[in-house]
Amino acid sequence: MVGKKKRKSSKTVVNLILGVICFIWILPTFGLFASSFRPAADILHTGWWKVFPHQEWKAGETLQLSKDVDLRQPIEVNGKTYSDDQLKAGVKADDSRLIWENRRARTVNMQEQGWKTTPDLTLDNYKNVLSGKEYKLKEADGSETVQKGSGLSQAFWNTLTIAVPATVIPVLIASFAAYAFAWLRFPGRKTLFVIIIAMLVIPIQVALIPVLKDYTSLGLNGSYLGIWLAHTAFGLPLVTYFMYNFISQLPKDLFESAFIDGASHFTIFSRLILPLSVPALASIGIFQFLWVWNDYLVSLIFIGNQPSVQVMSMKIADLVGSRGNDWHLLTSAAFISMLMPLAIFFLLQKYFVRGLMGGSVKG
Amino acid sequence: MKKAPGRKLSLAMVLCLSFTMMLSGCGGNNNNAAPTAAPAATEAPAATAADNNQESTNNAEATADGSPLDLAMKGEYKGTKVTMFGPFVDADQVKFESSIKEFEEKTGIDIQYEGSKEFEATINIRVDGGNAPDIADFPQPGLLASIAKTGKVVDLTGVLDQEKLTANYNKSWLDMSTMDGKDGKIMAGIWNRSNVKSLVWYPKKQFDDAGYTVPQTWDEMMALTEQIAKDGDPAWAIGIESGAATGWAATDWVENIMLRTTTPENYDKWVAGELPFTSPEVKNAVDVMSKIWLNKDYVYGGAKSIVTTAFGDAPKPMFENPPKAWFNLMGNFITSFFPETAKVDVDYDWFYLPPIDEQYGKPVLVAGDIYAMFNDRPEVRAVMEFFTTGESIKSWVQSGGVVAPMNDAPLDWYQSESDRRMAQLVQDASTLRFDGSDLMPGKVGAGTFWKGMTDYVSGTATLDQALEQIQSGWNN
Repeated sequence: MVGKKKRKSSKTVVNLILGVICFIWILPTFGLFASSFRPAADILHTGWWKVFPHQEWKAGETLQLSKDVDLRQPIEVNGKTYSDDQLKAGVKADDSRLIWENRRARTVNMQEQGWKTTPDLTLDNYKNVLSGKEYKLKEADGSETVQKGSGLSQAFWNTLTIAVPATVIPVLIASFAAYAFAWLRFPGRKTLFVIIIAMLVIPIQVALIPVLKDYTSLGLNGSYLGIWLAHTAFGLPLVTYFMYNFISQLPKDLFESAFIDGASHFTIFSRLILPLSVPALASIGIFQFLWVWNDYLVSLIFIGNQPSVQVMSMKIADLVGSRGNDWHLLTSAAFISMLMPLAIFFLLQKYFVRGLMGGSVKG
Repeated sequence: MKKAPGRKLSLAMVLCLSFTMMLSGCGGNNNNAAPTAAPAATEAPAATAADNNQESTNNAEATADGSPLDLAMKGEYKGTKVTMFGPFVDADQVKFESSIKEFEEKTGIDIQYEGSKEFEATINIRVDGGNAPDIADFPQPGLLASIAKTGKVVDLTGVLDQEKLTANYNKSWLDMSTMDGKDGKIMAGIWNRSNVKSLVWYPKKQFDDAGYTVPQTWDEMMALTEQIAKDGDPAWAIGIESGAATGWAATDWVENIMLRTTTPENYDKWVAGELPFTSPEVKNAVDVMSKIWLNKDYVYGGAKSIVTTAFGDAPKPMFENPPKAWFNLMGNFITSFFPETAKVDVDYDWFYLPPIDEQYGKPVLVAGDIYAMFNDRPEVRAVMEFFTTGESIKSWVQSGGVVAPMNDAPLDWYQSESDRRMAQLVQDASTLRFDGSDLMPGKVGAGTFWKGMTDYVSGTATLDQALEQIQSGWNN
């Protein structure tokens, strides 16, 4: 009885901690979501929580002070004196708040508190991101032509074209390699494996320029093949290690009986290993897919920014304009770009959780 | 390129003639002080007989088969591609592409422009990786200078017709495009788009209604600032927040004031690192600036909010009714941050940041984009030559937000009075100087200078500490 109770209370603690962690993660995401529906000026002025019904000061009676009031001296309003700073920030007087309405005209507003229940929301952020912004160009005769920019759809397909092969290729190669490292006996096996593990700690940044040089001489720059290979190479060490951990833990007896029945390595791999390691494949697939989907650096270097090959992350970065004047579009763009990873995650969620453990818990 | 000799000769003559016509057309504006009439290249014939100090020299050069641009216009390079890489994205990219569209249609050269927000970071990698674009557009000449030193930039001295360039550009621009190459000085690029940075934006309608007049001297401006403070508003809207680049807006102020309180020679020395930040000249400039910046009655939100206000958001209080702030010192590109409903010339306008000391005249601080060539092919030469003509930026000029540095961009291309005055300001400037922080090495101009100014304004460092900190950027 006591043990059960203890387990129950520790479960509550774990759940509580998880709840707090979830809250910390979800809150800013929700804030971003709320902001994505707000007009830019509103985002600038108030926090996203103002979309909820809240109390705010509403304009009330206007008090006209004498025009020659010196702002650097204490200012008298309704028999009381206030400083200029107080009136700038708003100062409470009885039930209302005194604040400058027009400092230049020396009018003070007596604001009253009231409820604001309907938030000002707009779909403009999404419209601009999805269907492209409109650019105004002027002609020699002063007339304006409106040119429509491109939306996200092209970039979306580009990213998908890059992300799917860049996930499938490394996962496939890594599974072959992991099988070999786990179940084949060949000279230099350990050394090779250690080298692959060592590659995990090499930052990809050091490889950028040398690889780019090779790509230039091979003519792979800006091509899909080039970036598939780049993502494959950068992803392989981790994927191999991950798959090795999983495949090496499969029961040995299975392969032995298969061997006795005369199965070749390839048959074992395709008939036994692949079906058995679906959870691991799925979860490392999600990892790799997320990495490629969110990648900015590798795309920036190897594929560039031509509209025909531009990926989502780069398109979104460009949306804000050369000087960042359209920063508010990032809110909705971020959400749209999150949709794909979220969809993949929820579809393969059960594998994902299992896969997370695949790397850590052995046996 | 093999043609019958007779045909070649007649071609050469036609080209030669058109070449001369164009040149003499441009030549009309050779003395760049002439403010109004910059004749367009197209109306050249009228001017043929007039001035021709260049005719003879150019005849000689053009005899063979004309300049690359002429050949391109004849469709010689049809079907070729020229890659270009630069920092314009989004709206700027659309404007740029509409400017080159006609050229692409006429010549059949496909200019593949690639814009990236990470241009500054990427161009080095591309050049080092052997993947340099044919043409790259540098908003910071300091960056180009560092690449030019490696010898990977094509020297334009022999590529472009120098006579034509001197005719079409203010000398200051050409001086600024001469940089240290691997072996000696080279002409590293040509200027295509420029910004003016000595402008104080103000809400014109409200300003006039309030009965204020545009100040002509620094003292008048300070008096007006005080007047506005008495009337109830802080005059200046200042913000220097800009993400990782926070502080750059402050450097524009220092540069502008430097030009107004000391000689251009001192400014050049300062930019080159010979005049330290700790010198009295620089200190004085920051002091002048501080009289506005650190006075809480003069700045919207007080000095503390300067560091936390994004430079693009800073002018927004000017467009409230009534305005909560009145002046914003910023380059002409700031108009893209203004509310869409605000109209140029009506709701807002600019005045020239007035001189402080009369002996230094009317200096103008500019910034701009310099185009450098990395691969020498005939069609690239043609495109580069095209970029030295006003025509290459015409549609952008019409849409507003840029000033053409070339003399053959007539003032009537500018669609607003405000833009026109801006172009004229540049042409009339007694001293034209480039944004110093963009010329300094990155460690200073895009490093300690930004950071030091931010620290000083936010109050975490005293003026002397901040200047020493900035200066330390030169030492390591």
